Amino acid sequence: MSLKDSMDPRIEELLPFYALDALTDEERELVESYLAEHPEAREQMNDLHSGVSALPYGISPVEPPRQVKESLMARVNADAQARARSSARASQQSSPPLLRLIKGENILRTFTLGIATLAIVWVIILNTKISQLQNEISGLHDTLAAQSNSLEQIIANLPQSPPSNVITVSLKGTDVQPDAHGQLIADPKEQSAVLVISGLPKLEANRTYQVWLISGGGPVSAGLLSIDENGQGVVIVTSEEAISSFKSLAISVEPDGGSPQPTGDIVVSSDI
Amino acid sequence: MASNKNATDVSVRINSESNLLHAPDETLVIQVARGNSAALEVLYDRYASTVLGISVKVIGDQALAEDVLQETFWRVWQSAATYQSQRGSFTGWLFRIARNLAIDAYRRRNVRPQAISSANGSDPILDETPDPDTDVAEQAQSILKNRQIRKALASLPGVQRQVIEMAYFYGMTRQEIAEATGEALGTIHTRARLALQKLRGEFERDEFEG
Repeated sequence: MSLKDSMDPRIEELLPFYALDALTDEERELVESYLAEHPEAREQMNDLHSGVSALPYGISPVEPPRQVKESLMARVNADAQARARSSARASQQSSPPLLRLIKGENILRTFTLGIATLAIVWVIILNTKISQLQNEISGLHDTLAAQSNSLEQIIANLPQSPPSNVITVSLKGTDVQPDAHGQLIADPKEQSAVLVISGLPKLEANRTYQVWLISGGGPVSAGLLSIDENGQGVVIVTSEEAISSFKSLAISVEPDGGSPQPTGDIVVSSDI
Repeated sequence: MASNKNATDVSVRINSESNLLHAPDETLVIQVARGNSAALEVLYDRYASTVLGISVKVIGDQALAEDVLQETFWRVWQSAATYQSQRGSFTGWLFRIARNLAIDAYRRRNVRPQAISSANGSDPILDETPDPDTDVAEQAQSILKNRQIRKALASLPGVQRQVIEMAYFYGMTRQEIAEATGEALGTIHTRARLALQKLRGEFERDEFEG
């Protein structure tokens, strides 16, 4: 008995349209039930499907405008950043409360408990001071004077004797934003640091500042930076590698949600 | 030492990204499922023009077809983890998403599709303009593949090609095709089967599953 003789005639009629994905739901279920029990029918369906799979190549391709790709990738990259932030939050929430201020449990594997504890305490003190200073800044009437004085106040009020392994790096604006200035405060062996910046203008709603850590392999995103009405921002910069492994830090203007690589104006750039 | 290791890690990561350009589709879609947007970009560069070609053919409206193109790759980004290579090629999966979205868009907007190739008419001429963003060897392979497929499709009797195009590109059921063409349902069955068997015969020496 041949294959043709053995196949249900109704299924044989439906099979080409199953391969073409042009059956009603009821017909599709009927064919799938049959295919599940008849391997010889599956073989025939695969043969038909190999013809169908070539059909898209038989039509004229149409070159899409560049903005379709740009729009897609902006949407995708924004989603990727949101996923990364969500993942980081979940990771932090699963850690003990004190360790939420620093990124990742692997710090404990790579640093002594004493150094980590000092760093944590120091970061808490720093965040408290920054919070107090930001409240003071928001109460100042002379906005321009507040912008220039507040960073000095922040720096003046930083703990006078931070842990000995902590370094402070001065950050300077580029020609694009020559008034920008700030500091990066870090334990070089840590994977996180505190960045305080001043003198940057607030951006339009669809733009954001993005912080980059740069090594010989190129820039790596270290987070997005929000600037308040006084042109100031504070962010905990995080990286998968120790801060000491990077040569410099930069801040660029990027589309909302950030970019995988710097694309806009570099407003701050300094060696670490 | 730590610095050297980190520099090496960064280097490996960059090299991996450049290697994506030549990675097979199935490798790229795994990367996409892991959230690698660069892998999605490579897949887009490979197939966007074919996906847009499908959409334009189905919808007959360039702007709407571009929306479908973006939505197709957005679905790939969001659903890459659900793709199962053992159930078929990536391109089969991708083009099915595009086709279904295009048919949905067409039905929603009720825009008239491009004229279906007449029973004895010729297929549209394939655009063989090289894409400057694509590897030269890939371009050549793609052009050769398209030429062979066009030749195979052209070898089909027009009435057979018409049936499979109405079913595949416009999602028409057997009954709708029979009604539209004025042919008996049995005739439609026969034409579809013969067309696909003939195509398969033309292609069986080559791999078109991507």
